[in-house]
Amino acid sequence: MSLTQLHAPATAVERPRFRAWPELNNPAAWLVALILLIMPLIASGFFLIEIFGTTLILGIIALSLMFLAGYGGMVSLMQLTIAGFAGYMVAVFGVSGNANISLGWPWWLATPMALVLATIFGTLGGALAVRTEGIYTIMITLAIGAAFYYFTNQNWAIFNGHTGINTVATPHVLGIDWRSDIPFYYLILAVAALCYFAVQYVSRAPFGLALQGVRDNARRMAALGFNVNAHRVAAYAFASFIAGLGGVLQVWNYRQISPGSVGVERCIDILIIAVVGGITRPIGPFIGALIFVILRTFALDVLIKFGLDGNRFRLLIGLGFLAIVFWSSDGVIGLWERWRRRQARSPSSTAGSRHG
Amino acid sequence: MDSVAHRLSAVGAGAALELRGVTRLFGALAALTDVTMTVRPGERRAVLGSNGAGKTTLFNCITGDFPPSSGTIRFFGEDVTRFPPYERIRRGLRRTYQISALFPGLTVQDNVYLACRGVSRGRFSFLRPGVNDALMHATETLVQAVHLTPVKDQRVAELAHGQQRQLEIALALAGAPRFILFDEPAAGLSPAERLELIEILTSLPAHIGYIIIEHDMDVALRVVESVTMMHNGRVFKEGLPREIESDPEAQELYLGGGHE
Amino acid sequence: MARFIERHPAWALIAIIAVALLLWLVFAVWPPGLEQAIGRKRVFLNAIFNGITLGGLYFLVASGFTLIFGLMRNVNLAHGSLYLFGGYVGYAISAWTGSWILSFVIAFLAVALVGVLLQILVFRRMEGQDLRQTMVTIGLAIVFADLMLWVFGGDFYQIQTPSWLVGPVQLPFITAVKSSGEPVYLQYPMVRLAIFVASVIIGIAMWLALNRTRIGMIVRAGVDDRDILAATGVQIQVVFVLVFALGAGLAGIAGVVGGTFQSISPGEDTRFLLASLVVVIVGGMGSIPGAALGAVIIGLAEQLGSVYIPTYAIVVTFLIMVLVLALRPQGLLARR
Ligand SMILES: Nc1ncnc2c1ncn2[C@@H]1O[C@H](COP(=O)(O)OP(=O)(O)O)[C@@H](O)[C@H]1O
Ligand SMILES: [Mg+2]
Repeated sequence: MSLTQLHAPATAVERPRFRAWPELNNPAAWLVALILLIMPLIASGFFLIEIFGTTLILGIIALSLMFLAGYGGMVSLMQLTIAGFAGYMVAVFGVSGNANISLGWPWWLATPMALVLATIFGTLGGALAVRTEGIYTIMITLAIGAAFYYFTNQNWAIFNGHTGINTVATPHVLGIDWRSDIPFYYLILAVAALCYFAVQYVSRAPFGLALQGVRDNARRMAALGFNVNAHRVAAYAFASFIAGLGGVLQVWNYRQISPGSVGVERCIDILIIAVVGGITRPIGPFIGALIFVILRTFALDVLIKFGLDGNRFRLLIGLGFLAIVFWSSDGVIGLWERWRRRQARSPSSTAGSRHG
Repeated sequence: MDSVAHRLSAVGAGAALELRGVTRLFGALAALTDVTMTVRPGERRAVLGSNGAGKTTLFNCITGDFPPSSGTIRFFGEDVTRFPPYERIRRGLRRTYQISALFPGLTVQDNVYLACRGVSRGRFSFLRPGVNDALMHATETLVQAVHLTPVKDQRVAELAHGQQRQLEIALALAGAPRFILFDEPAAGLSPAERLELIEILTSLPAHIGYIIIEHDMDVALRVVESVTMMHNGRVFKEGLPREIESDPEAQELYLGGGHE
Repeated sequence: MARFIERHPAWALIAIIAVALLLWLVFAVWPPGLEQAIGRKRVFLNAIFNGITLGGLYFLVASGFTLIFGLMRNVNLAHGSLYLFGGYVGYAISAWTGSWILSFVIAFLAVALVGVLLQILVFRRMEGQDLRQTMVTIGLAIVFADLMLWVFGGDFYQIQTPSWLVGPVQLPFITAVKSSGEPVYLQYPMVRLAIFVASVIIGIAMWLALNRTRIGMIVRAGVDDRDILAATGVQIQVVFVLVFALGAGLAGIAGVVGGTFQSISPGEDTRFLLASLVVVIVGGMGSIPGAALGAVIIGLAEQLGSVYIPTYAIVVTFLIMVLVLALRPQGLLARR
């Protein structure tokens, strides 16, 4: 599998390793963290959740794909399906407007249950996907995602068919409504930060390193004593848990879930987000998600302003995605870094020639 | 067939490696046919043979990269024929690859660290190793042993060919190997690098046996005590280095097709 | 065949019993008890026929997909878009000229042309980078879908069945026996049968072309072992373009077929892409007979499932895929 094109500069940047967190040395990272923390002071309710909350949620789901694809070489198109499954389980086990379906468990039981089931679901899917290698993964995971979508459409007993489940209850704890804008934003931010740092941390831990070894050369990993498929399945389990977290936040965000939330198009959107942002580093999916959400929210107005049909949002997304795949091996991060390198090189090379 | 193999199979149960009737087919092609051989613990042996003789396939069968189509393989008395590769490795078998099989996206240190981790516990550990991690020390030591300390933080993709070959050997020395298979470790090395290689091989602890595939007779015969000659997937002669060196048939076959 | 029975006697036995049971269900007059248990025989026979003819359609789509993958390792996730495009072109032509046959010809040519352009302008530039190619096909699928939505809108289109194919035919399958003792025969739409026969003919023609012509041999050798291609010294690029054109053209034809006995609308691209995926996963990547077998299995599973267990029909299809992946990950008829 020719993933090398996608992960080329992966570890070069993370060299100060094993000890501290490399990003703690980066002033830009501190700035971003600060902005994210004081965001409620800057952005109004609409922006806070519709733009930044959604970005972080999609980023979490895409992060789970980044983990599998960037470190494991497994491009899974079912990450959104796993998230959606978790969302459905929150609705089914918890409280919703569809009393005939929902079991009415309190959120602190329903949520862990949903996460566990989503992790099992994703792990089983992964166990199926690792039966074959390389590009087959995409096909099998896409088929799993599609099967789930059609199933939710057909099945009324659990998933309530194409109407889905509405008015899903959200948690109220310590007298706070965690779905009101500001607390919900901080909740999302906390989960996103947790997932981000977990992935970052694990990537340098034995498990993550071994996964990158499997990505680079599975046969050699077996010849070093690793059970390669077990590692792959474990990676799916870890990624499924992350995707499940994203799914729980997603269903709390919209308070409803229906087959439309787990459609094939949505699954592909997650891939687009991860690839556009950059699939070699955990920050990539979040950047991709921000671009995606901004495009989705404002494309209509912008397109109309340019005298174009406002409905052509997907065309824009498709073309943008194609452009990124054509010109960058590592999404916008890759483009950015290439640009920075060129900036850094051109003055120094002119200086060099003056010396000579 | 009868000479060394028989004498050695008398030791039977104590053998490090014992192959019986190992055959490997690729479709209609028999890459290995009915190979029987026994290697003592600590024994150092060369496998010689022209290109396509089946030497690499022999290694692949022993490690389980490609399991044999028929026959049995015992490793220190245990029947490992149906074991997946990682089970054999965890029992002390190691190998290198003719074409370097490294992890180009990782640093030299990470490559070696993975090799150390693969044969110890905690392969699935979610905790980063601390400063005093024993495996980190083992890693440092190994990196030093193959003279790669100056480049230990470089990605493997950026290494020179000779350095990659060194790293290839380091990966096979991780943990506590009991038996190592070297597949043409000297291929593409400069004369100086060859000397380093010979030094590494001869300084291995005496209890570690190995089989080395090597086209360069000068290298091969300096580091082994016995020789197996292969041709067309079969073992056709076994003996001591000087017997092989002076054997006209072996000379002709080997020199005839070996140096392509 | 004989080797399969020799190697897997248990599976062979199960398969033989299943086929025998199916034949009995199709040909026998059902005893009343059976009709009570699982419903009318006419319903069952209709589901079987629908399943097989749907399988014919799936085969047309999936054979191109599997051929392109087998030879070029290109997982063309825009294959469904080619299908949909073929459907729209066929609709436009048949509405304009009134000729059903002509719509096939034009749809084949138009979609084949798209395939040629894709291969020459896009995929040739990234040969051997299968992941990148797949990403590109995903991007293309999105772009195509939106372009077609732009041009044709969200409506459903149905291609007019030519008058000489309209109406049912009577088939020599007894669905029931009247109280007078007179047998009732199955009535089935002519056009579906015609299309099924056509897809069988296309399948056989492809098989012959692959097995009996020089270029077919080259393609087959290339599917088995890609390095051979370079060694034969043929113009690989020409072969690639031809295969891409053929595979895309077949998807175009399938679009006209699908537009005739179902309908075309946005979303059908995804549906048929997924059908192709499942068919080739089940049948075996790169194998034309595998695509045929997989198509019939999936077609039957879908139709029987939607008649007998409507809320779990998709699960049947999916379980078949899971079973194949678990027992024979390379697919039923793939070599290796
Ligand atoms: N994976 C494989 N698939 C098909 N044929 C193989 C494979 N590996 C080796 N062979 C064939 O087996 C024979 C022996 O190869 P090999 O063991 O690599 O020879 P050697 O290492 O002695 O040069 C050769 O004819 C080679 O083409
Ligand atoms: Mg060799």
